[in-house]
Amino acid sequence: MPQNQAGQSNAGWKQPRFPRWLRIVVIGRNPKATLVRIVVLVVTSFVVFRFILLPIRVEGISMLPNYTDRSWNLVNRLAYLRHEPQRGDVVSIRLAGPHVMYMKRIIGLPGETVAFANGRVLINGEVLDEPYEKLRCDWNCPPVKLGFDEYFVVGDNRTMPPELHKHGGTPRSRIIGKLLL
Amino acid sequence: MKIAFRILLFAALAALGIWLWTVLFPSPEKVIRQRLMELARTASSSPDEGNLARLAAARSLAGFFGTNVELNVDLPQLGQRRSMDREEITQLALLASSRAGGLQVKFPDINITVAPGKRSAMVDLTVTATVAGEPDSIVQEMKFTLHKIDGQWLITRVETVRTISGHPQIYFRHFELCTAAGSFHS
Repeated sequence: MPQNQAGQSNAGWKQPRFPRWLRIVVIGRNPKATLVRIVVLVVTSFVVFRFILLPIRVEGISMLPNYTDRSWNLVNRLAYLRHEPQRGDVVSIRLAGPHVMYMKRIIGLPGETVAFANGRVLINGEVLDEPYEKLRCDWNCPPVKLGFDEYFVVGDNRTMPPELHKHGGTPRSRIIGKLLL
Repeated sequence: MKIAFRILLFAALAALGIWLWTVLFPSPEKVIRQRLMELARTASSSPDEGNLARLAAARSLAGFFGTNVELNVDLPQLGQRRSMDREEITQLALLASSRAGGLQVKFPDINITVAPGKRSAMVDLTVTATVAGEPDSIVQEMKFTLHKIDGQWLITRVETVRTISGHPQIYFRHFELCTAAGSFHS
């Protein structure tokens, strides 16, 4: 029978695979509690990031300079539970599903008439103050009357010709949330 | 112990049976989804693809459509056309692939509604296409109507959906095929 230097028997004694300190760092002093924490963390993350805060990656330049291409953000899907979307909100607009969405700013509310004149937004004929709009443009677009559940959305970067920039009315049902950051 | 083992064995056999059933007799939704994925693969091309391969892909692409496809598409190059046959689809696909160089087509979101008789279906899907050398993808929501003809699900109607209304949805910016938008497209 193999014996160690102290003459004690090694039978039934297993050499630990990792040092004790490493096990404590990785799985803690109480593995059961660690397992519970992991399960809670996974479930919470799943619920939060699937149903409440949707992680997204911005692609494209139409929200420059406020949201840059390939930046990360979160969409708050509960933002409009207690109130309807507001003017100035940056929202996500769904297409056929949640994997690809548009990101635009709301400038017109239901029932309003929206137009562009020399790059300025006119709401019911009055100029809209847009502090977020840092890139000047020269857009001229005829007035658009919004329906009772329609919002007018547009990007912040209006330096390109209007026909190259997706903007216009979208129904409330397509707005799935507000950008968090 | 013996009973527990038998229950487990029974459950495993039942699961295997259900899985086999779905493999051997897939639901129309699954068949349509697979077919659309195949369509996306066929519509994609690499920049170094030869003319013969492009022609074969274009012909293969036309095979996903019915003999006469009804159109309701905001595409200036199609003008007021309201229908296309397979030969015209082949020509259009060939033209698009040769001008675009390389093209990667994907359908990230597909919603399928099969009619009660299971002979027709409506599909609402998001199309993303990336032209070789272009940093931004093309994004468009579309609606397809499919009919089961001779045991195959064929696209008989194609229509573009105006997610954001008021402006043309598709225009030609890069070569021949492009939309206004740039996965979370801003």
